[in-house]
Amino acid sequence: MSDKSMIICRCEEVTYEELIETAEKHKCSARELKLRTRAGMGYCGGRTCRNMVESIPRQYLPNKEQLGLVTLKYQPPIRPVHFGDLGGDET
Amino acid sequence: MTNDVIIIGAGPAGLSAAITCAKHGMNVVVIDEYYKPGGRLLGQLYEEPDGSWWNGIKESDKLYNQAINSGVQLKLSVPVINIERQGTEWNVFTNMETLQANNLLVATGAAESPAPVPGWTLPGVMSVGAAQVMTNVQRVKPGEKGIIIGVNVLSAAIAQELKLANISVESMTLPKINSMNHDYAIPKNVVNSLLHVSHLSPSPIIKIGSNLMKYKLINKLALKFYPNKGIKMWDIPIQLKKAVTQIYGTDKVEGVTIANVDDYGQIIPKSEKSIEVDFVCISGGLYPLAELAAIAGCPFYMIEELGGYVPLHNERMETPLSGLFVAGNITGIEGAKVAAAQGTVAGLSIVNNTLNSAFEFELEEAIKQVRIIREENPIQFHPHIQNGRKKMQKYWNEYFANNQESFII
Ligand SMILES: Cc1cc2nc3c(=O)[nH]c(=O)nc-3n(C[C@H](O)[C@H](O)[C@H](O)COP(=O)(O)OP(=O)(O)OC[C@H]3O[C@@H](n4cnc5c(N)ncnc54)[C@H](O)[C@@H]3O)c2cc1C
Repeated sequence: MSDKSMIICRCEEVTYEELIETAEKHKCSARELKLRTRAGMGYCGGRTCRNMVESIPRQYLPNKEQLGLVTLKYQPPIRPVHFGDLGGDET
Repeated sequence: MTNDVIIIGAGPAGLSAAITCAKHGMNVVVIDEYYKPGGRLLGQLYEEPDGSWWNGIKESDKLYNQAINSGVQLKLSVPVINIERQGTEWNVFTNMETLQANNLLVATGAAESPAPVPGWTLPGVMSVGAAQVMTNVQRVKPGEKGIIIGVNVLSAAIAQELKLANISVESMTLPKINSMNHDYAIPKNVVNSLLHVSHLSPSPIIKIGSNLMKYKLINKLALKFYPNKGIKMWDIPIQLKKAVTQIYGTDKVEGVTIANVDDYGQIIPKSEKSIEVDFVCISGGLYPLAELAAIAGCPFYMIEELGGYVPLHNERMETPLSGLFVAGNITGIEGAKVAAAQGTVAGLSIVNNTLNSAFEFELEEAIKQVRIIREENPIQFHPHIQNGRKKMQKYWNEYFANNQESFII
């Protein structure tokens, strides 16, 4: 197995290659990288791959200043919840 | 019913805060998603510089018993999924119910960064923290023979714990370099961070450190003279000139491919070898787990010395959001004793704010105590932690100079 086919986001099965190619092509922020590839947008809410998705654009962003502040957003619920629990009663 | 205080996280920070608040007559609820109280303290087991042993399970029991005896209510196996301020109260949403409190302390600790290597999604690959929990908390062997990828304070401490449990560790080594791991895949960077850490750390690192120190005399040449076969720490070779290029196996881990690398982490051609192992631990370091503070709208700053993005706070563990406090590793990666001392500060801060500043003196003393413990603490995850703390204080001062209205209501 090579680096290229290495899975970074397990939930959405996004590979290292896909992330690198997207970052290189669009010179985009971490947020844009996430939206373009769906890395970090799966079931776990990015709990595993978040840091990796955040670190990739650093090398391709032309303006390094942008980095300090832009972080991927957190959104509730921050843990997976059963629809039943969210919806209240189970009848 | 509105509680006086809700604390998210039953680690050393959260429990210490809970005990402090409860002893001052407040009603306190602590919520943790894990089924046992103690947080990351549970897995810790190491020898102190004075020769005594730090046993996290015993320390957790002590804190838990104190909390229960002072009337703290604990809700375990309950994840908090959202927090939101409404009027003068904080709403705390769990997967089951919504609770209210006048004061909310977020003490959610730290999380591990993964160190991805091709094949890292195979069963049998785990973070070092997972291996620590299996071994020390669950008492289950992660495997018979493993390898640790990522050389840092945490992975060295856990390597020793595995060894104590009679689990064979082939070696500790670096991951193959990629776009995400320069800090911990480039030998030069790794040596640098180990050298700075060495003089204060507990036995595992003192050993790596003092070995490396010999080379430090010749400073930048340290790596050049670092032996190719590694330096041994309790019989575990620490390889700073080798990297795992691949983890292989059909349905689970069967082995790893390891290669020699140059000072910049580039693979030396034709140096690859296979090593059979049945588990692999990966470690890319720790970062503050600050999701809830982010959702609440707390401003964040990237402070490398503290381990990543940290919510804005002061030495009293207050955030700019009224009634919201933080303590422990969410404010920066440090050892359990510092986390507990910060928890006591947060507790006193809450008590003091509620009771018209009647505990100003105790609070000041507790803040001093954090500084003392920080200086004496044997486990230092980042060599320049003090700098990181100063930066945060500076951001705090600047924030309040620019935002006259003081606390965000
Ligand atoms: C894998 C690992 C190993 C470590 N090993 C060592 C070591 O050997 N020595 C050392 O000194 N330090 C170690 N540390 C550092 C450790 O973080 C501190 O020692 C200390 O435990 C920090 O205390 P804390 O109270 O801030 O957080 P923690 O002890 O991490 O406790 C935080 C608690 O918050 C809970 N929590 C988090 N989010 C939620 C949520 N949304 N809802 C409900 N509950 C939540 C967690 O379940 C956890 O119990 C380790 C850290 C990690 C991650």
